[in-house]
Amino acid sequence: MSLAAEAFVSQMAAAEPWPENATLYQPLREHQILLSDCASSLAVQAYLRMCNLPVRVSCRANAEYMSPSGKVPFIHVGNQVVSELGPIVQFTKAKGHSLSDGLDDVQRAEMKAYMELVNNMLLTAELYIQWCDDTTSSEISRPRYSSPYSWPLNHILAYQKQWEVRRKMNAIGWAGKSLEQVYEDVSQCCQALSQRLGTQPYFFNKQPTELDALVFGHLFTILTTRLTSDELSEKIKSYSNLLSFCRRIEQTYFEEQDRDSQSGASHHSKGPSLI
Amino acid sequence: MLFWPGFWQLHFWTIATQMKLKIAVFPAEWGSVPWCWGVKMAAPSELFCWKGGWGLPSVDPDSLIVLAYARFAGAPLKIHKISNPWRSPTGCLPALKTKDEGSFSQPNKIIIQLRKQKYNADYDLSAKEGADTLAFISLLQEMLMPALIYTLWVDPKNYVEVTRRWHADNISFPLNFFLPSRMQRQQLERVQLMRGNRALEAGEEAEKELNHDALECMNLLSQRLGSNKFFFGDSPSSLDAYVFGHLAPLLKIKLPSSSLQQHLKSLENLDSFCCNILSLYFPNESREGVGRPVSSTPEGSEFDNEPYKRRKQLLSVLVAVAAMLSYALLTGIVAIEHVPEEVPRGGRTSMRAVHEEEEE
Repeated sequence: MSLAAEAFVSQMAAAEPWPENATLYQPLREHQILLSDCASSLAVQAYLRMCNLPVRVSCRANAEYMSPSGKVPFIHVGNQVVSELGPIVQFTKAKGHSLSDGLDDVQRAEMKAYMELVNNMLLTAELYIQWCDDTTSSEISRPRYSSPYSWPLNHILAYQKQWEVRRKMNAIGWAGKSLEQVYEDVSQCCQALSQRLGTQPYFFNKQPTELDALVFGHLFTILTTRLTSDELSEKIKSYSNLLSFCRRIEQTYFEEQDRDSQSGASHHSKGPSLI
Repeated sequence: MLFWPGFWQLHFWTIATQMKLKIAVFPAEWGSVPWCWGVKMAAPSELFCWKGGWGLPSVDPDSLIVLAYARFAGAPLKIHKISNPWRSPTGCLPALKTKDEGSFSQPNKIIIQLRKQKYNADYDLSAKEGADTLAFISLLQEMLMPALIYTLWVDPKNYVEVTRRWHADNISFPLNFFLPSRMQRQQLERVQLMRGNRALEAGEEAEKELNHDALECMNLLSQRLGSNKFFFGDSPSSLDAYVFGHLAPLLKIKLPSSSLQQHLKSLENLDSFCCNILSLYFPNESREGVGRPVSSTPEGSEFDNEPYKRRKQLLSVLVAVAAMLSYALLTGIVAIEHVPEEVPRGGRTSMRAVHEEEEE
């Protein structure tokens, strides 16, 4: 979003309280959504639950095209549409809900830095594994991505997306990496996160922040998604404090809230769990 | 044959190749000597990076990162400052050429290779500081690097007056005619792909968006650095190298239009951080940069080029006139006739006239 549009949206946002019918859109859960999109979507859901803001999850095949920035997930609140975690955090902040108000300047700098670390390494690694590894790409990513469409559109869209992602990998210097190197990078990233988390319940002591939501989204999705090989989830399982961190957030924000609310489980549950 | 200019060079070159010695080419620094060759000794790896300017050891952010890290870690590298990326072992700069393991290209790969050779500037860091390093490097790459590339390569005024001029002056003929614009296209594509926005073009909106992130990143770095000399303790680490590599070009290169530069100068601790590293680890370059301000300022350059400009104008006018004259002569538009002497012809004609008169 451009700066002027952002400022306008924040002004509009501040005017109204959070409505009851806020909706989050993502691709189809069972057949279409891919690892990276699922992780981003779960991160946003976790963040909104941490802020205690109710949101309904709606799965659409063309969610990617509905989104204003082309990326999923996006939320439809009142008469505004906001996509991606960063702008959504700012949007909720404009409405008066924020998780990182209690942090001082140095901590805020660290939080932003670690969020960029997750985006830079974990998200990029997920995209690499999905689209640049030939096995995964042909067995999982392309069939899933193009499942709502008929021939020949499914082939065209799938290859177009693959080509775009490979160009991006080229531009940021990941094209020359082998799969082992990517796993190694993921391991380094998890080690950094594990070091930062230490024995605390959340990254910034007692209260969760958007960093916790983002890390949870990615780690949980990797742990519960079946790929062609288990190596990625094995890398994460070797860090026990990250596992217990994911478990804790799942129990606190997903299972308890599901038990409390009486609405249909299919909307709020994520399907697989860590147990 | 012995006095033919190229003979001795050719002679030595053939001997060298017969003895199978490795020949390393040292371009620009060796000035006017046309044939330069040297024998590569064993052990130290070689680092190829962009030349320096404006008081910096190199004008390219990636090369600066690697140079700074090498100095911090005390790695004994043989540094080649070149201005022709086609001469590097991997085709792009910076590049590290090791004896046994081939060549490496990007800053993080080069740093990993140096660490493998036991030159590690992060040795003293605790585990948490190592994690913070990774996080802040990601922050730099996601939030500051796109804006830096935009400012240097995509912003029209900066590109034409500073970047393209420097590259055209410093890259050797004939590459200086097409390499800068090719590099510009590559950098624009890189920014577009990094931001995930295909429609990003040079313009105010893109600039504002990128600068917003970059300003926030600089503020965060400034808050994290506080009043310390380096980011972690008293000795510099790889994070310091990355921050230096990204901020020093913004500080030192004189850009005609840059709000990033002004904001960075207002952050005093980052300013003194960069100047500190320059004076401690690159004293030669900073002295040269201070001693030669005239050649690097854009105002001074007009006057410096003035005599050459006049000479070039005069030469071009003369060449044009000569070309036109020769064309005219060759095609016969203008013909120079030789007029023979007046007297005999005049005599003959007068006699003929008399004769004719007599006949009539």
